[in-house]
Amino acid sequence: MSIKEAFDFELREVKDKKGNIEYWAKIDKYKILDVAKTIKNLNGRCVIITAYKEEIPRLVYHFDVDGVLINIEVDIEDKRVDSITPILKSASWAEREFKEMYGIEPINHPNPKRLFLDDSIDEEVLARFIPLSKAMSGNLTSKMWHKIQKENNEKD
Amino acid sequence: MKKINIGPFLASLEEPIYFKLDVDDNEIVRDVEIVNGFVHRGLEALTMQKNFFQNLILTERLCALCSNNHPFSYCLALEKIAEIEVSKRADYLRVIADEVKRIASNMFNLSMLAHLVHDYELMRDTMDTREIMQDVKETIWGNRMDLSAVTIGGVKYNLDKQKSEFILNSLEKIEPLVDKLFERFCNSEKIKKTKGIGVLTKQQALEFGVSGPVARGSGINNDVRVKAPYAAYDELEVRVDLESDGDVYSRMKVRWYDIKNAIKILKNAINNLPSGPIHLEKRPHIPAGEATVRTEAPRGELIYYVKTDGGQKPKRMRWRVPTYMNFQALEEMIKGNRASDVVLILNSIDPCVSCTDR
Repeated sequence: MSIKEAFDFELREVKDKKGNIEYWAKIDKYKILDVAKTIKNLNGRCVIITAYKEEIPRLVYHFDVDGVLINIEVDIEDKRVDSITPILKSASWAEREFKEMYGIEPINHPNPKRLFLDDSIDEEVLARFIPLSKAMSGNLTSKMWHKIQKENNEKD
Repeated sequence: MKKINIGPFLASLEEPIYFKLDVDDNEIVRDVEIVNGFVHRGLEALTMQKNFFQNLILTERLCALCSNNHPFSYCLALEKIAEIEVSKRADYLRVIADEVKRIASNMFNLSMLAHLVHDYELMRDTMDTREIMQDVKETIWGNRMDLSAVTIGGVKYNLDKQKSEFILNSLEKIEPLVDKLFERFCNSEKIKKTKGIGVLTKQQALEFGVSGPVARGSGINNDVRVKAPYAAYDELEVRVDLESDGDVYSRMKVRWYDIKNAIKILKNAINNLPSGPIHLEKRPHIPAGEATVRTEAPRGELIYYVKTDGGQKPKRMRWRVPTYMNFQALEEMIKGNRASDVVLILNSIDPCVSCTDR
């Protein structure tokens, strides 16, 4: 069975200059488990998962079946998606990474621990706005000044 | 059961990685937890704040040993989005830079293996032979690590007759030395002890999606140069040799095969170097679009995803280095082995922690 026939939705075929075939598709997020099962049946693997933010967060799953790349785009409105790691082990780290970097929860991940960020750092920390005045040491300096002033006043 | 911690510093390499091992009374590892992220620098976020040409410099500095592959893949992705036709000569020159890096990178890892099994004479000789390739890099590109060979739409260096001959002569010099070293590695009593250590079966390797020498050591050929050729690899004969045992010893052998095949590819590429321009006349405009490209780095498959919106900077850039996948399989490789062999197994996947953590 060819790769195109294995899926129940339309795959857009892209050919590069060297004749390498690549497929693209945009699907509903509830279908992702079926896609993972199909990839497993085709003896494929998960290469990586890209997360990024347009108006709504989006995931792009990159799968490989014997040298052919299959890219599946999924919109995640509620920041939750079924984990495909129980089906494809190769997706484990990729899912842990989008959880801590983009705050998208992979449901039923067998090992949902932090991957790169320490537990003390909040999830999705890069998406948050932190005012420069707070980030810089100006805040600390004024605190110290008030402390010294207070001590001086007490001496007097 | 007792706990043994290895790392985070100086576990086999200078790069930080931390293992928490559960070890039984016979010093056999029963469970392992790998902690990483010590050198996470938020590089993906950084690339989205730099323009396309600044990112050439930034991506090259992700990693030392496979530094050429990052700007190479990045340029391929941008060229795919902008539909830029790269000249044949530039394609060949890109392959030459890449294969020189492959030889040097693999030889570095092999000398580390000799170091870890305490065969210091072998380590010294491997490093000494590698120096021939380092001299090539220094002579052609002016640097021992970052070649800065690739640019958007072509390459930044050219080969004249004198330089081509220099590389060919260096290859003539290194080839018999590589054969001799390969024999010494296979016959070294200390290295023979790595047989049966850190086994990754073919089935496990398929499940974890490993690539590069780790996959080839377990009998899987997913070399991107063959499966989805890029640059000039469709015109150059790429031979891929496999081993089936999936242990540290097999991975050592596969790396030597890679070196031998890279020498053949280099000779072929230099002897058949087409004439023509090496880069574009004008700086290209990168329109809105998205692309995924893959290349074969010394450690395996490297994938780049780039999304642009027609501006000067990428909207999203994502890459995955081969070590990212090989690390996941490391837990399976370590379980059931002696605690004293963990560092040896770690070295056998040729880990690159700073490009994995980013």
